[in-house]
Amino acid sequence: MTKKRKSVLSDQRFIVLLVVIALTAIFSVMSKEFRQYNTLLSLLDFSYYDLLMAIGVTFPLITAGVDLSIGTGMVCYALIGGSLIRNYGCPVIIAMLVCVLLGVVIGTLNGVLIGVMNLPPFLATLCSCMITRGIGSLFSATPWPGLTQEGGWFHSIYKLTIGSGRSADRYPIGFLWMVLLVLLMEFVLNHTKFGRYTIAIGSNKEAAALSGINVKFYHVMVYVVCGLFVGLAATAYAAVTPTVQPGTGAGLEMDAIGGVFVGGVAASGGYGSVLGTFVGIYVIMLLKTGLPYIGLQANWQQIITGIVLIVAVLIDILKEKKGAH
Amino acid sequence: MEKLKQNPIVKKLGLNRILLVGILIVMFVVFRAVLGSKFPIVDSIKSTLNYVYFLGFLSLGVTFVIATGGIDFSIGPVMFCCALISGYCMTSYGVPCALAMVICILVGLCFGVFNGWLVSYMSVPPFIVSMASMNIAKGLASVFTKTQSVSWPLGSDPENGWFRNIVSYNGFPTGLVIFLLFAVLCGIILYRTKPGRYILCLGSNSEAVRLSGVNTKKWRMLSYIICGTMAGIAALFFVATYTTVQPGYGDQYNNEAIAGCVMGGTSMVGGLASIGGTVIGVCIISLLQQGIMAFGLGKGQQMIITGIIVIVAVYADVSARRRKN
Amino acid sequence: MGEVILTMKDIDKSFPGVHALDHVNFEVKRGEVHALMGENGAGKSTLMKVLTGIYQKDSGSITYKGKEVEFHNTREAQDAGVVIVHQELNMVGDLTVAQNIFIGREPKKGFRIDDKKMIEDSRKLFRELNIEIDPREKMHNLTVGKQQMCEIAKAISHKAEVIIFDEPSAALTEKEIADLFVIIRDLREKGLGIVYISHRMDEIKVITDRVTVMRDGGYVGTLITAESSKEDIINMMVGRVIYEDPKQHSMVAPDAPVVLKVEHLNAGKMVQDVSFELRKGEILGFSGLMGAGRTETARALFGADPKQSGKISIMGKDGQLREVTINSPQDAVKYGIGYLSEDRRRYGCVVQKSCIENTTLATMEQYTSGLLINSAKEKEVTEKYIKELATKTPSADQLVVNLSGGNQQKVVIAKWLTRDSDILIFDEPTRGIDVGAKNEIYKLMNKLAAEGKSIIMISSEMTEVLRMSDRIIIMCEGKVTGNIDISEATQENIMNKATRNID
Repeated sequence: MTKKRKSVLSDQRFIVLLVVIALTAIFSVMSKEFRQYNTLLSLLDFSYYDLLMAIGVTFPLITAGVDLSIGTGMVCYALIGGSLIRNYGCPVIIAMLVCVLLGVVIGTLNGVLIGVMNLPPFLATLCSCMITRGIGSLFSATPWPGLTQEGGWFHSIYKLTIGSGRSADRYPIGFLWMVLLVLLMEFVLNHTKFGRYTIAIGSNKEAAALSGINVKFYHVMVYVVCGLFVGLAATAYAAVTPTVQPGTGAGLEMDAIGGVFVGGVAASGGYGSVLGTFVGIYVIMLLKTGLPYIGLQANWQQIITGIVLIVAVLIDILKEKKGAH
Repeated sequence: MEKLKQNPIVKKLGLNRILLVGILIVMFVVFRAVLGSKFPIVDSIKSTLNYVYFLGFLSLGVTFVIATGGIDFSIGPVMFCCALISGYCMTSYGVPCALAMVICILVGLCFGVFNGWLVSYMSVPPFIVSMASMNIAKGLASVFTKTQSVSWPLGSDPENGWFRNIVSYNGFPTGLVIFLLFAVLCGIILYRTKPGRYILCLGSNSEAVRLSGVNTKKWRMLSYIICGTMAGIAALFFVATYTTVQPGYGDQYNNEAIAGCVMGGTSMVGGLASIGGTVIGVCIISLLQQGIMAFGLGKGQQMIITGIIVIVAVYADVSARRRKN
Repeated sequence: MGEVILTMKDIDKSFPGVHALDHVNFEVKRGEVHALMGENGAGKSTLMKVLTGIYQKDSGSITYKGKEVEFHNTREAQDAGVVIVHQELNMVGDLTVAQNIFIGREPKKGFRIDDKKMIEDSRKLFRELNIEIDPREKMHNLTVGKQQMCEIAKAISHKAEVIIFDEPSAALTEKEIADLFVIIRDLREKGLGIVYISHRMDEIKVITDRVTVMRDGGYVGTLITAESSKEDIINMMVGRVIYEDPKQHSMVAPDAPVVLKVEHLNAGKMVQDVSFELRKGEILGFSGLMGAGRTETARALFGADPKQSGKISIMGKDGQLREVTINSPQDAVKYGIGYLSEDRRRYGCVVQKSCIENTTLATMEQYTSGLLINSAKEKEVTEKYIKELATKTPSADQLVVNLSGGNQQKVVIAKWLTRDSDILIFDEPTRGIDVGAKNEIYKLMNKLAAEGKSIIMISSEMTEVLRMSDRIIIMCEGKVTGNIDISEATQENIMNKATRNID
């Protein structure tokens, strides 16, 4: 047995961080437009909902499960929230709470299907993906209040605007909240019972059950927490998307799940880190934002995300194979 | 009930299949009774069949994959990708229609090879491969067509209109004949040939098959290749019926195809597959779709119902298996 | 040795069809290491499972610390201080050592788990045990030996007063065993009662104070280790039962050619430098105790698991012995080897499929005329074998899952016979098969050998080995420790070698 190698250099999270820096450098050198503050601003704007979904889905992935309903779910909740505001005059804050609550409800549903009824995770959540997409498309496209409209204050959660019009200064304070949330969830993963048992379920479910852990409960909770974050993501999505379109959202889960795998979650479960997810998402976001600037159609990004996902998983599988010998 | 099960005719046809046909007929009668003239008999059958054609091919293909205990939910987008790429070749590069049809099937085949290789030789979990190739298919189609929708020639087109005869020839439903022929062919492959035998056996107990000296990797890969190829064929029937395809869509057909398969009695755990069941299952899903439309409801409701159907069907399968053990 | 801490009296336990424990007595004193010995299937593990609440006894009584008790699950036993260290380790590999030790009962500090306290407490435990393990290390980075130490630490952290070690040394190196013994002696000093289940005679002599021997689910007797010899213990284990008609001498012709030659086969820890020869028409018995590496040898030979080195030569159709490369079961099957696994349901047959499908699984290409499977031919061949092997099944279409164990085995045999395999590896051919069917399988094996097939038979049943084999190879801990002709074989002789009693 080799001595443990715990140098920073072999930590995937660190390597991914280097990739983030390298990508930023490459895009900045290749494109003048990329270097502008506005680019950074929009990159961050559009990263929040992806990141929130990714933080959530990190937990199911650690248990060797998955949640495919995060993308359509998020859009569905944002639509419902929007229509509550527009059609029923509901205060924005209530609409936001409804989003989160809906996330928790669908999360619980997923959790029960998987943890209690033992359906395969990808199949159960593929169904809830369809169901949320279907529910979403029952609502009409409804914009949440704009920044200057009544209730527009919620935009300031993610982006603080001082002044008005073209000369306004905008500060991406959402990033700060994200950092705090990432740290909080990293703490939850590593220092609470919930986090510990999430890892235990992914690593060796049987041993966890034999140690007297209520495996079913924690398995359901994993999906509840995931749903909670999808609910939060819905509010971030509403803040950056002028009009949420019904029937969309499919495919958004790919960016989030891709980011988590880039961040180093193990394909066979048992290992993952929210910090990893954090850096992983920014690799995806940089590709998404940066590629058009160097002349690649935005659609290349879809292909590249697919390939990145496969490569990230392959690296993990090969590492594990090597470790087995 | 037991007596009924032992009846030789029932035994030959399978109780499940008889029940499914019953459901199909009851559904039709109920739709007709409730909707009356809004559900014209001949037209409804026609439009249901049109839906059955392409969905049926998808479903037949994925039956092979599910029989090995795997999953492929990239087939919808792959189908669109096939239709888009080959259609674009025809409309923009002047490729003859016949050749375009071949290209269409070849693209599907390539996706099958890609998916199968990753799953069986690189041991990447099937749901991850599906997710990735779903994205790649969508991205590839968008990039190739520069995000434009593609229309295949109309029936009135003097030069290439002939290809629509695969669906109907002067009102004669050739599509039905071809589909049933393929269903029979799939049945023969699955039950009467060596590859089919291996696919079913390895879905049931992969290790025992390997220890009998069978190259399980090869045959597992083959199931994905069949699935991809069938998606290519499905694409032809799709465009022959609906003419136009748009890049970026197709996910909903995954679920419908899987729903048809699982309803027909193919087990998600692998090893058990029923081609006849899949055919009837697809008919039910298609009829349901027509019925929902006739009720004036949209895609949304349809997706919700399909999602619930899959959950119920899979849960029934999971709990039936557990009772047996 | 102190006062008696645990007494099990007249324990009786039956499973459907098996009388697993027949009025067994057992006691443990404070400050003693009490060995529990017996052949495979003698009932040791069942007895311990009854003690720790995994099984419930049918009758009898358990007295622990002067009170009659009955544990309903491991948790209750644990809380009372009776802890078992399992042979298969139950650890969450991705968590750290400390996290594993305290899993399910983490100390908390507000919302968070108090990792500091856990690490501190683990350190304390390890110090008490004189072990050097970093509690912050991930479990899967430790060697099996260290993992075992963690299990022990976990047991002690439960304030255990009786610790049961179920074959703890099976996967350990010499050095690790020595460390383990230091710990066990230390625990004995502290006045704990220790039950030590093992097959290794030399260990028993070194570490234990008393030995209780079980045989066929019954209690045989208890000896004081220091006052008894190895022979005494072995005699108690094998008993004086007269085994049914053992083979007197080898049935193999003296000039029978060698059909399989294995030289210096190495595959992981369980197969070390294994060499042997198999002759035409021979039944070569592989004897040894559980975990001796016999199945592993067979699987490596068959290409089912990777091997590190070794030379395998097989006689071709022309009668020449030639070196072959076997990297997968496909290769092995091509060279005419057939493997009948000990675990038929998992590795032997596809139980959810019919007899026909299982019979022709290895020979599909013989039944495909053109593209299609010739089902008439398939059925004909299957029915031929059903008749020939006297398989009891209503029809060839019957699903294998509905057949009894013996008949499932016959289906697997048929699979290899259709392949015309010349070398058959039977791994525990009669496990889970009732007595009548057993005899049929034996007859069949003898018939196959007489027809010129060569058979490797792995068996843990002494009766079977002595009755069937022409020659016996004995393995212990991955090494071949004996190779004897049937005419020289006795139970004592085999047991001696299987317990690594090489003087």
